[in-house]
Amino acid sequence: MFDFLIQGFGVALTPLNLGLAFLGALLGTLFGALPGIGPINGIAILMPLAYTLGLPAESALILLAGIYTGSEYGGRMSSILLNVPGDAGAVMTTLDGHPLAKKGLAGPALGLSAVSSFIGATVAIIGLTLFAPLLAIVAVKFGPAEFFALMIFAFASMSAMMGKDPLKTLIGAVLGVLISTVGVDSGTGVLRFTFDMPELYDGIDFVVMIIGLFAVSEILLMLEHAFRHDQDGEMAPIGRVMVKMSEVLYCKWAILRSSVIGFVIGVLPGTGASVASAVAYTTEKRISDHDNSFGTGNMRGLAAPEAANNASAAGSFVPMLTLGIPGSGTTAILLGALMLYNINPGPMMFREQPVVVGGLIASLYIGNVMLLLLNLPLAGVFARVLQVPRWLLVPSVAILAFVGVYQLHSDLMAIYLMLVIGVFGYLLRKFGFSLAPVVLGFVLGGLMEENLRRALSISGGDAGILFQSSLSIGLWIAAALVVLVPMFAGKLKAKFLPAAKAS
Amino acid sequence: MKLAADRILSLLLLGLAAFVAVQAWQLEVPFSYDPVGPKAFPLILAGLLAVLAVVLFVRPGAGGEWPTGALLLRLLFTMAVLGLYAALFINLGFLVTTALVSIVIAWLFGAGPLKAVVGGLLLAVGSYLLFTYGLGISLPTGSWIEPLLGSN
Repeated sequence: MFDFLIQGFGVALTPLNLGLAFLGALLGTLFGALPGIGPINGIAILMPLAYTLGLPAESALILLAGIYTGSEYGGRMSSILLNVPGDAGAVMTTLDGHPLAKKGLAGPALGLSAVSSFIGATVAIIGLTLFAPLLAIVAVKFGPAEFFALMIFAFASMSAMMGKDPLKTLIGAVLGVLISTVGVDSGTGVLRFTFDMPELYDGIDFVVMIIGLFAVSEILLMLEHAFRHDQDGEMAPIGRVMVKMSEVLYCKWAILRSSVIGFVIGVLPGTGASVASAVAYTTEKRISDHDNSFGTGNMRGLAAPEAANNASAAGSFVPMLTLGIPGSGTTAILLGALMLYNINPGPMMFREQPVVVGGLIASLYIGNVMLLLLNLPLAGVFARVLQVPRWLLVPSVAILAFVGVYQLHSDLMAIYLMLVIGVFGYLLRKFGFSLAPVVLGFVLGGLMEENLRRALSISGGDAGILFQSSLSIGLWIAAALVVLVPMFAGKLKAKFLPAAKAS
Repeated sequence: MKLAADRILSLLLLGLAAFVAVQAWQLEVPFSYDPVGPKAFPLILAGLLAVLAVVLFVRPGAGGEWPTGALLLRLLFTMAVLGLYAALFINLGFLVTTALVSIVIAWLFGAGPLKAVVGGLLLAVGSYLLFTYGLGISLPTGSWIEPLLGSN
């Protein structure tokens, strides 16, 4: 049953792939730590690099996964030291992380978060190893109708659990799916939404889309940030770098509980680190905050979201690798990257691409150890990255964006399109959209339509096929539940616990 | 004003939905065995988008802070600079355009003139060396430089 893992370690332990895992971990930590960049932007900006190097699919994925997990490590630095979360998943880290830093415990806080992240990720990678093959067995039973229902479920759980604005999450997803319909229709060869521009016949290129959406819009947002003189807080001194064993032991249950929470939430398609860390933090507060010290620099309050954060990052690989449904915005980018290698995500991926899947999982084990070894002693060095002035950072982002798109297309139209998408992304973010659902919609849109049409052509156009098997009915019910339960749970809570908010 | 942003967005989305629907409706579909065809999916999406837009109109959220005045000008200026960067990228070459753009952006982000020029030049040269020799990417050298190098 675990042949894939043995095979995978064979792949991941080749010198090239070991080197790439290290490079990914290093670059990821650096980019995750850059002010205003954060994990998802880091991946978006560095993604073209994987193609530039002309790597085979499994190596490219190992590099990108290294960047992904590394950036989750790097993202905590600005949360702890500056009180500026790099992304939504890091918000909870600031709650106790920054107060700790203010107490002069920045170094131990960084160390503790590295250890919690390591444990969280390890628990989740073991979970991934155990669960992925099981899910892959179920996945074989998925036909087009079930796959379509699964994608609906992914969007439903995302809108129910992600962000503060479910409505905009849904709208964002629909916009993403709409963008994916541009280009030649694979079923009939009809051109859709191309407006006689040959550049659009193949659809909007994934790299152009991602770089425009994240990197270019980020440049504009950083300009705004700088103009409003929102000074980043004073950086706290690091102090003692190592975390004490007693401090880790004090948090051990918090870390383990949160790791499991993070993994489970990460596995749910569509929900990622932000939900996982929030749930872990509130759970931990309820269980172990006896003296009401959460929020004032309690080590457990830092360890819990950090463990959950990284556990969910690894957990979100489960649906991506077994079902082809990304568990988060970032894994949606990774999945899109895989599709550029003509690897079709979907229920059969685990069977058809054991080298890619096994190699990736094995490299997660390796990369995780590397990250701990890198981050414990070098926290102080990485923290310097926080002080990179924006006037150097922003041109660098622009250069990476331009070179990334140019080297793939050698074409001006692609660069212009990237800029247009950048403005679009900026407007979306100003309107309060999160970009993850847009990416998820964009990546899944094509598959969604393909599976819907395949299902309907099997049934000769009868939509009843979508609700025929028990598996698909179960998925539809689950999709309805994840949307409805939180709505009613919120109302019930408000009815019976009117004082809950005040306390 | 606070409520207006989402209402405007909602109208824009309704417009988009209508546009998508009309475009999809006008697609000419050759005969095929596919019972769904290319029209249905965009039409469903347009319908869904329209419904969501209406909900947004009825229940708008708080609008964010929108750029005005000098900030808006700077944002437009930045986009114009990036557009020029794209337009000149191939003809003027990577080194020259990148240096110029980096200097301008650095200056926009509050670096002094000396810092901006030195930083921009270093960024351009450094990234050129990194990309060309480190990663083996061929970047445009610029058409103006070729006559200077002599024909071959």
